[in-house]
Amino acid sequence: MSDVAIELFGVSKRFGPKVAVNGVSFSVPKGAVYGLIGPNGAGKTTTFSMMCGYLYPSEGSLKVMDVDPTTPGALKGRLGALPQDAVLPPGWEVGALLTYWARLSALAEPEREAREALDKVGLMEAWNVQTQALSHGMAKRAAMAQALMGSPPLVLLDEPTAGLDPRIAAQVRQVIRDMKGRQTVVVSSHNLQELEELCDAAAILDKGTLAQAGSMNELTGQGAEFRVQIARGSVIIPELTVMPHITDARMESDTVLRVRFSGGVAPEEVISQVVRHLLQHDVLILGVSRGQRLEDRVLQML
Amino acid sequence: MCKSARFAHTLDGLKETVVIWSAELRRAVRSGRTVVLLGLYSMFSALVLLVVGWLAGEVRSAVAKQLEGAGADASASVQLNEEMRKGVLGFLTSNDSAMIEALAQVPLEVLIVFKITLFFLPAYIALMGFDQISGEVGPRSMRYLTVRARRSSVLLGKFLTQATLLLGLVLIIDLAIFIYARVANPDFSFPAVAINLLKFWLAAIVFSLAYVALTTLCSSLFRSPAVSLVFNFILLFVFWLMDTIGRASGDTGNLRFLRYLSPSYYASDLLHPGLAQFGASGAAYAVFAFVFLMAAYGILRARDL
Repeated sequence: MSDVAIELFGVSKRFGPKVAVNGVSFSVPKGAVYGLIGPNGAGKTTTFSMMCGYLYPSEGSLKVMDVDPTTPGALKGRLGALPQDAVLPPGWEVGALLTYWARLSALAEPEREAREALDKVGLMEAWNVQTQALSHGMAKRAAMAQALMGSPPLVLLDEPTAGLDPRIAAQVRQVIRDMKGRQTVVVSSHNLQELEELCDAAAILDKGTLAQAGSMNELTGQGAEFRVQIARGSVIIPELTVMPHITDARMESDTVLRVRFSGGVAPEEVISQVVRHLLQHDVLILGVSRGQRLEDRVLQML
Repeated sequence: MCKSARFAHTLDGLKETVVIWSAELRRAVRSGRTVVLLGLYSMFSALVLLVVGWLAGEVRSAVAKQLEGAGADASASVQLNEEMRKGVLGFLTSNDSAMIEALAQVPLEVLIVFKITLFFLPAYIALMGFDQISGEVGPRSMRYLTVRARRSSVLLGKFLTQATLLLGLVLIIDLAIFIYARVANPDFSFPAVAINLLKFWLAAIVFSLAYVALTTLCSSLFRSPAVSLVFNFILLFVFWLMDTIGRASGDTGNLRFLRYLSPSYYASDLLHPGLAQFGASGAAYAVFAFVFLMAAYGILRARDL
């Protein structure tokens, strides 16, 4: 058993002449909350669908929980998935549908699992409601509930909070936080603030190719750069660049100083050293922030 | 994979099939569509029965009047009726003496209605199940199933649901026809009703399974249920055409073999009293059902969902 939950080896997917995903390789460690980031058409949902075994890769291969996801029955009970555009089948009451699916997953107590999962997403009142009568948000939560049933070791969530009101979205984020460390979770989303908050690591896709993959620290540069917002005073850049461990220092704007430092050094030491230096030179500081917002980083990259 | 693992894998697949089958059947039985289709088919059968019954009655009374005018006695009328009955029965059974003898007790109306409803049954089956797979692939609800069940189990579960529904539906229709026949023909004894009901029901089921499998195949081919339905009707027409052209070609024509490729060709022996004839006919339908199902599985297995 490896420590990797998902591995992609040069995976490509073509739909006719259109290349949706092109030679993507990355791995998701077990127990992590992992983000799939990218603009519309970046290939997130296609990659997600290949991980679930819905789509066959045109080239390359995948391993999900050490098996090929397209192998019949290989991921049964080990994978919970919230597909993005899948409609709940009509003609079912939500409770009966979830119980049926729990039974199909061979869970020991299907009805209890269904009730617990619905409770987690705050949708118990919909137990007897027909699926076609659910609002968009309720259907999304019911679909989320089915992915959580039986606490599978791997949960893949495609746009889990899209279209939800802020209160419910926060509840869903809490559910994901609760899974951290106990289950591997892959979240695909446009909401970069949400991903930055939830994820330990992420892969950034753009136009079907992998732009970057790594831990959130690596992606946001939290372990390698910080910004100082200057209120008043003059910053003498050459004095900063000669300081130990600092690789680069520059004014990004009139009031923002960006400092980059070499890896392997505790960020707090470098930050303290720079702040001390600035204060000694009568520079007044409004704030210090580590790294870059994920959103800025992604916008810069894509 | 070792033998015990393969056995466990197969067993798990069978369990999935049973879960899907029972759940889908419960949903189908409660759905308005099943009730509407049942009502539609019952109405159609009743209409055919009434028309055939009325026509038969009219012909009988016209013949009786003619005979009366010619001064013939009652026994002559009975004899002529029997001759007419044999003539029609011969036409319906291709003059197979064993079949004529086996169906001697069955009222002619029942046989005609059975033949007519059997002709339209494939269309009904298509209407009933055209969206069994495409209706789940198009809106992607199939994705909820395939993370927890094998595609083969989904396919088989859906097929069995349709087959079970049809089993019940055909039984209801056949039962109604035989009850009518018993009421209209007091000579049609209760044991004969029971045996023939069973025989006709079995024949309809064997006949239907191949068409249920064909509908499953058509439903697996496309994402759009409407396209599945249209394609299903096209295939039914093509099969009917192949059977008709094949039969019309006689025993020497170049196209005579076409009839063997059409499931409907084998329908004539489904009521045959000879086990060999019935077995051959049943085997032909089993082969068609198997081929259609395997093709459906091959398509569903290979496709993106």
